[in-house]
Amino acid sequence: MITVEELEGKQAITWCTGCGNFGILAALKKAVIELGVPRHEILLVSGIGCSSKAPHYINLNMFHTLHGRAIPVATGAHLVNPDLKVIVNTGDGDGLGEGFSHYIHAARRNVNLAVFIHNNGVMGLTKGQFSPAAQRGYVSNTSPPPPGAPMWPINPVALAIAGGATYVARGFSGNQKDLVTLMVEAVQHRGFAVVDILQPCVTWNRKLTWKFYNERAYSLQEEGHDTTNKMLALEKSFEFGDRIPVGLFYRSELPDLASGLALPKDSRLRDHETDRALLQQVVNDLTL
Amino acid sequence: MDFTINTGGQAGQGIDTIGDLISQVFVKTGFYVHVLKDFESRIRGGYNSNQIRVSDSPVYAASDKVDLIIAMTKDAIVEQRSRLTEGGVIIFDEGIEFDELESCHLSTPLEKTAKEVGGSTRMTNAAALGAALAVLQFPFKLVENALTDKFERKGKKVVASNVAVAKALYDLTTEQFSGTCSQNLSSIKKGPSKDLLFINGNRALALGAMASNLKWISAYPMSPSTQVFQDIVSQAYKLNIGTLQAEDELSAITMGLGASFAGARAFVTTSGGGFSLMVEALGLAAITETPIVIYNAQRPGPATGLPTRTEQSDLLFMAHASQGEFPRILLAPKDPVEGFEVATRAFNLADKFQVPVMILGDQYYADSMMNIPRFDVTGVSMDRGLIAADGPDPEYLRYKLTKDGVSPRAFPGDAGKTVVHSGNVHLESGHITENPDLRNAMVEKLMKKVPHILKTLNPPTIYGTKIADITLLTWGSTWGSVYEAVNLLNAEGVSINQLHFCDVYPLRTSTLKTVFKKAKKIVAVEQNATSQFARLVRMETGLGVDYHINKYDGRQMTARWVMTQLKEAGMV
Ligand SMILES: Cc1ncc(C[n+]2csc(CCOP(=O)(O)OP(=O)(O)O)c2C)c(N)n1
Ligand code: SF4
Ligand SMILES: [Mg+2]
Repeated sequence: MITVEELEGKQAITWCTGCGNFGILAALKKAVIELGVPRHEILLVSGIGCSSKAPHYINLNMFHTLHGRAIPVATGAHLVNPDLKVIVNTGDGDGLGEGFSHYIHAARRNVNLAVFIHNNGVMGLTKGQFSPAAQRGYVSNTSPPPPGAPMWPINPVALAIAGGATYVARGFSGNQKDLVTLMVEAVQHRGFAVVDILQPCVTWNRKLTWKFYNERAYSLQEEGHDTTNKMLALEKSFEFGDRIPVGLFYRSELPDLASGLALPKDSRLRDHETDRALLQQVVNDLTL
Repeated sequence: MDFTINTGGQAGQGIDTIGDLISQVFVKTGFYVHVLKDFESRIRGGYNSNQIRVSDSPVYAASDKVDLIIAMTKDAIVEQRSRLTEGGVIIFDEGIEFDELESCHLSTPLEKTAKEVGGSTRMTNAAALGAALAVLQFPFKLVENALTDKFERKGKKVVASNVAVAKALYDLTTEQFSGTCSQNLSSIKKGPSKDLLFINGNRALALGAMASNLKWISAYPMSPSTQVFQDIVSQAYKLNIGTLQAEDELSAITMGLGASFAGARAFVTTSGGGFSLMVEALGLAAITETPIVIYNAQRPGPATGLPTRTEQSDLLFMAHASQGEFPRILLAPKDPVEGFEVATRAFNLADKFQVPVMILGDQYYADSMMNIPRFDVTGVSMDRGLIAADGPDPEYLRYKLTKDGVSPRAFPGDAGKTVVHSGNVHLESGHITENPDLRNAMVEKLMKKVPHILKTLNPPTIYGTKIADITLLTWGSTWGSVYEAVNLLNAEGVSINQLHFCDVYPLRTSTLKTVFKKAKKIVAVEQNATSQFARLVRMETGLGVDYHINKYDGRQMTARWVMTQLKEAGMV
């Protein structure tokens, strides 16, 4: 079993005091321990942003990639070594702006990854510009009033469900217990799993605050939501007002991407050696 | 003996099939064959052709004269007319309305015979083959053998019908064709060929990559590179290779980096436009020292440019692509033989130096076919470079500072090690740093690799006499045409040779410097408008060439064309 000490990060945390990322990191550590797999079998892949620094703060294999590109990097790593539990830490700017096409295509492929969206409704690291998940009217240096951000926020839950993801949930940084459960389930789920995590950015976002979420978040599971009903899940995913549903929206079992590729049955691509005699046969068949 | 046959018509008319049949007949009877594919970016219509050069001694490039034309449309009759040699013949179906008949024209019932004798117009190919080889007075027995080989797998009946159709046209043409073709093969003595591959540059690269234990390829289709990806996908189940068509090229290359990071040899294939999209990830490969092999089958740009034509205009772009400074390796194979070898070297170099290795082909390299000795894939050696010792090592540092800049790799999943990669400037551990001294150390770590890379790369080759009055400076796929031009000019008594580069970057300069000292004139010959390689040479050595020959119409230069340019410039 992994201990908390073993997970102690090797790098000093640079997040602002009170940032919602702390709650996500704490939940991630608990989830990793709860998973009960050897430490070397876990891989964190992130993009760029405050959120994408998270892997540096927990002592695990990691690849801190480019803005928006965590999902394809994670896809490649997973497919050559399906024994790895691959987790993606992404921000809403990272995964839903710069990398959005990867998100939707990964859902469609049902690739076996767990994607944790640190959703703060802003681009934190670049100093608070409106992000794809910013509320309409959010005021920033690049979205002056009126009207503030002149467009509506992206809906990562609805898009994941519509896109074909087979595990779609929403967590809240302020609700550790449920967040840990969702994270563990997402990693254990075979297929594309998304947890959209409400993460207050205390420095830039004056609207999506701790108070805002504490007053509105309610548990889907406590209200008895049917997670097998795709249309119902979609309908629920549009609820974002006085009440904000948190928990598992939708889960289904479908073949994952790896099962549709020519991966070796009894080993992993990373250790597999091509049978050169077979290849020589291919070459010989080409001779005239 | 050295002659050229052109099969031309619309896309969708089976021009490639006729071309393949004819080429195979000659390959199988022991001739050297080179096929140039000339086609438009469309699925139906237009004008496409296969230009098949046949010789009893090795041929390295296409020729610009045609001795025999098989035309499936009126356009095809007219298109190549100006290139027809004296005594050449144009064969076409009698159904094509064409009034301006000349003595070189042979209008004959290809389709009708295919239908009547073979029962299907699909055998028009065999009919055209029969007619063409009758004009050349090629022994029919050899045609029959070739057709048998080609259609054997489809059953005896298919073979018999094809042979019957070819024979009918062969006999009819022998009887009717009163002209004489300049080429007469009635007494050919070539034996059957053995152990020859008849392939293009793309296929050679695909085979080279698979022989190198390639385990991951992700790509997005783009001419003229796509065949490499398709060839590998087609063997994926047999050989266990991970393959995925990505949503775009940036996804393709970042998947490749993930795969390589996790321990597999990875390859991405594209053309210039796709490579443009990959550029940010090229930098990620560099700073994270993740090996990757990238193939760019160049085509004329910018933007969509000419999708199915050829050019060597991405050299400087690839040598300098991405923000920041880092080592990279560029290799430009001259033909399929070298392509296979380059692929195997590319993967070893990428692993050994943990740098991106880029292979520059172009449409001419990619699509042109020639017969070459069979590859021996069992003899390919694999060097995975420095790998950390097995077993737990809590102190493992992915970016350990070493003498030569290369640190031992470990992979996520290795028990007892934590592997940390970051695109940010990092510590030896892989975690982020902004410390100026460490920044310096990490830049120097990367740049230290360059002298070692240079020692490992191949020097350029001088073709012809070691010293000559004129030296033609070339790289990549223009080798063949220029090589033939040099040989022809040497035969005319001109003192001329060729200095050719396959390993183009980083640039090895010692041979260059000697040649620049000894030759009276250096001429850069490039399939681009701005002599990019000559510019690279000047950048790296301060040495400038004396004259430039450039072609950028998207059609590969020929030996004759090169000679004409030199003569018009008064160089020879
Ligand atoms: C290609 C590229 N474009 C822009 C940036 C600058 N940039 C860094 S982080 C970021 C936004 C991050 O937003 P988000 O993903 O929401 O992360 P947060 O900081 O809010 O956690 C941007 C635009 C970059 N690093 N790379
Ligand atoms: S800027 Fe916002 S998201 Fe970034 S660390 Fe500070 S509070 Fe957190
Ligand atoms: Mg954000």
